[in-house]
Amino acid sequence: MNFNEFQNQARLYVIGALEPEELEEFETARTKFGKKGEEFISKCYALHEAFALSLRPAKASSAIKERLMAMVKAKQQA
Amino acid sequence: MEPPKVIASTRRKPKKRVRLSKSRAQPRSVAPQLEPGAPSDFDLMKAIQAGDPDALSQLYDRYNGILKALILRVIHNEAEADDLLQEIFMEIWNQAKNFSAQKGKPLGWMVTLARRRAIDGLRKKQAYARAEERLQNEIEQQPDAWVHNATEEEIVLSDTRALIRKVIKGLPPPQQQAIDLAFFRGMSQREIAAKTNTPLGTVKTRLELGLKKIYDGLKELRDEL
Repeated sequence: MNFNEFQNQARLYVIGALEPEELEEFETARTKFGKKGEEFISKCYALHEAFALSLRPAKASSAIKERLMAMVKAKQQA
Repeated sequence: MEPPKVIASTRRKPKKRVRLSKSRAQPRSVAPQLEPGAPSDFDLMKAIQAGDPDALSQLYDRYNGILKALILRVIHNEAEADDLLQEIFMEIWNQAKNFSAQKGKPLGWMVTLARRRAIDGLRKKQAYARAEERLQNEIEQQPDAWVHNATEEEIVLSDTRALIRKVIKGLPPPQQQAIDLAFFRGMSQREIAAKTNTPLGTVKTRLELGLKKIYDGLKELRDEL
């Protein structure tokens, strides 16, 4: 696999769309490309951010934050 | 394309805000811009790692809308999305020690975590059929504007969203569909091929081309933001 193919696979990898046999091949290439490959994979995670940011924010129930913070405090006190 | 407008702040200041060091130079993100002097996401994560609940509170205020939208996009149930949102922020609190700034940005980490939890939830419920029906209804009913007493952050976010959507909407519909099914439904290439009655090789090509275009589009977007 050359680096261009690795880049294509990496974009599929970060969204979990590689098939099992492709995943094996990708992991081998990942080892081969080392740091350069890891850096590219990290950049691909910007896709996650982008997909989330493409959505219109939804309003959460106001009780959620209160419950969350109460749980955090309870955990800290435990 | 114009850069996002920064509106003069009329936003209420929260009663208690932790004062953390100013944002340091970090890899550029597609995430919305923050007020000058506001703690960066990295600062908040560091404070959470140190056990500061107020930092979690700030992170929640900043991103609950985005994460809930993502969860809702996957599971299509308001009450379940709220419950899952709470669980995810609790997981952020519990797992903060595993976050590493070297590996990426806090929002990316949170989105990855939220997406995985939402897709797991969807699979557990085996609610694909119901979700599909609701998805269709939402697509038909979703208004174009999100306007309810928009705060400054929301306005900036709205600009960011518009720019990202422009990139995504520029794709041919079959590529958009393949990416949507893979990212928001957690479907494999084979599952997408079966669902759309499309050869597996075509699905792979659609995903590769679509993701590359979005990735390249984001690079240009980062330059504009």
